[in-house]
Amino acid sequence: MFSFTKEQEIFDISGIKIGGQPGAYPTVLFGGLFFKGEPDVNSAKKHLQNMLNLSKKTGNPAIPDFFIRKEENLEDITEFIEKTVPKNHPFSLDIIEPSLKVKALEYLDEKDLLSRTIYNSIHIGIRDEEREALKKHTPAMAIIVAFNPKDKSPDGKIEVLQNGANLIDAGLLEIAKKIGIKKILIDTAAMAPGDNSGASIAAIPVIKEEYGLPTGCAIHNVVEKSKWLNGFESAKKSVDASSNINIPLFGGDFAIFGPIENADLVFPIIAWQDILISEYTENYFGVIPDDSHPRRKLF
Amino acid sequence: MTKVKTTVIGSYPVNVENMELMSGYFDQIEVSWDKYIKSAVNDMIDSGIEMISDGQTRDPFVNIFIRKLKGCRIRDRPEIIDKVEYNGPITIQDQRYVRSFIPKNRQLIGLITGPYTLTKSCVDLFYKDEKELAFDFSYALKQEAIELQKYVDMISIDEPFFSMGVPEYGKELIKIITKGVKIPTRLHVCGDVSKVVSELLEMPVEVLSHEFKASPKLFDAFKQYKISKKICLGSVRSDNQRVEPVNEIIEHIKKGIDVFDDKISQLAPDCGQRMLPRDVALQKLKNLVKAGENVYGS
Repeated sequence: MFSFTKEQEIFDISGIKIGGQPGAYPTVLFGGLFFKGEPDVNSAKKHLQNMLNLSKKTGNPAIPDFFIRKEENLEDITEFIEKTVPKNHPFSLDIIEPSLKVKALEYLDEKDLLSRTIYNSIHIGIRDEEREALKKHTPAMAIIVAFNPKDKSPDGKIEVLQNGANLIDAGLLEIAKKIGIKKILIDTAAMAPGDNSGASIAAIPVIKEEYGLPTGCAIHNVVEKSKWLNGFESAKKSVDASSNINIPLFGGDFAIFGPIENADLVFPIIAWQDILISEYTENYFGVIPDDSHPRRKLF
Repeated sequence: MTKVKTTVIGSYPVNVENMELMSGYFDQIEVSWDKYIKSAVNDMIDSGIEMISDGQTRDPFVNIFIRKLKGCRIRDRPEIIDKVEYNGPITIQDQRYVRSFIPKNRQLIGLITGPYTLTKSCVDLFYKDEKELAFDFSYALKQEAIELQKYVDMISIDEPFFSMGVPEYGKELIKIITKGVKIPTRLHVCGDVSKVVSELLEMPVEVLSHEFKASPKLFDAFKQYKISKKICLGSVRSDNQRVEPVNEIIEHIKKGIDVFDDKISQLAPDCGQRMLPRDVALQKLKNLVKAGENVYGS
C-alpha cells in the first residue's frame, strides 16, 4: 500500500468520482452486458438492478459496460440505456468494429447521451474516421487501452501512450487530447495468459505515477482465458472475481470485471479490499476516504 | 570474375495492421510478428536478392536491441537505467523463422546494431561515461553475435554514428563483437564516411558497406587508400523514392569496379529501406538484381 508523489486527477462523471490517491475513492466497477449472443433485455434488466443494489450497499460505483457487436443492436441497446439505466447514471460503450463506433457516436449524440458516455476505447487501431467522429460527437470520458504489441512491459505501455511506439502517428494520450477528450482513463491492457499478463497490474502504479490519470484494467480476461483453470471448475468463478483485487492493491481506480453476472462476487471482494487499503492509507498517509467509500458505508 | 552477391543492409518497409493486432488483443491471442517478417522476406526472395535479412520489421534498428537488453528501456525514448547486459536472444527467433521458409539457395544475413550507435542513440541515466557504456553494449552484443552465427551466413554490424567520427576505441568495440565469430562479418556505416576511411579500413571485419549511390564522392575518398577489405557497394538510394533504372545502376557498379576492382563482394541498397514505400523498395531491389546480373552474370 502506497501513495503517489504525482498529483492524482479525480474525474467526475454524473456524480461518480474516479481516480485519486489509493484509499480516497472506492474502486469503480465496470460490469459487462450483452457480451455474447443476441441481447437478452429481460435478463440484463435483472442483472443491472442487482449490480446497482450491490453498488448502493458497498459504495463501489457501478458502471454498466455495454458490448455492441452488430449495427442492428445499436438501437435496441441504446433504448435499453435510455429506459433502464437510471437517469444521469454513466455507462460505457464497448465496441471493437471502427465503423460501428462511428455510428454509435452519432446515435448517442442524437439521443443526447454523450454526457453520460464512457467511450471504451481509444487504441492503436484508431482511424481518421473515428477521430473525426469523436471530435464531432465527443463523449464525456474515454478509456485509452495502452496495448503495445511490441512491448508488453509497463515501459512499453508508457511508450504507446507517449509516442505511439512507431505504430501510429502520435502517442495515444496526445491523440485523445487533440480529439477533445477531457477525462481520460487508462486501461493497462491485460495480455493473454503467459504473454506477460502480470505487466498489466505492474503498470498501474507506473502509469499513475507518470501521468496521475485514473488507471485500471480488465485483469479478469486473463483468468477467463487460462485453460489450466478449467481443471478447477468450482473455483474458476471465484478466482475470476478475486483477480480484481490486484487492481486496487496496486493503486488502481477501476476494474472492468467481465460479465455483470459476476457482480455478486466482485462487489464484496472489492469493497473488502478497498476497506483494507483505506485502513492503512489513512493511518500512514493521512488519506481520508470519501463519504461514499465502503469503509464509511460498511463500518 | 568473383561471384558478387546481391544483398540488403537490413530494414524493409512493412504495413502493420494495427486493427488486426487489436482484434488479437481483444481475443486474448498472443502477438505474432511472423506475418510481417514473412511479407518483407518474400519481397526480398521475389526480387532475386541472394543474401536476405529478416527485414527488421519489428522496430527501428536501435529499438530492436534496446527493447531486449538488460539495463535499457524505451518509454518516450531509448534510455539507459542500469548496467547494460545481455538478457538472452534478441534477433535469433526471427532469424530462425526466416531460415525455416527461405529457399535453400538463399543466404541469410544477421543484423546487429553497433555499440557506438546504441550509445549515441540513448539517453544515459546511469553511466555518465560514454566509453564505459559503449563497451558494455559491445560485450552484450558479442553474446548475440556468438549465438546468431549458428543461424546466419554473415553478420552485419550497423554503425551509422561512425560517419560522424570514429572514437579512438571504435576498433576495439567492433573487435569485441567479431572476435571468435566464425562466419564473415560486415560493417555498415551509412552517411558521408569520407573523413573516416582510414579508420574504417582498420576495422576487424571482412566487408565494409557504405552508401556510394547517395554519396558518389566516397569513390574519390576510397581512391586515396589501398583497399584491403571487401566492399559492399551501395547501389540504389534508400533516402529517395525515385527508382533507379537498371542502366543507371550498371553504370554505378562500373564506377565502383574502377575504384575497387575485384574487392566488390556485395551489391546492396545504400542503407535500410524501411522509410520507402513498399512497392518502391521492391522495385529498387529488382533493378539492383538485374543490374548485378548484367555486370557479373547470373
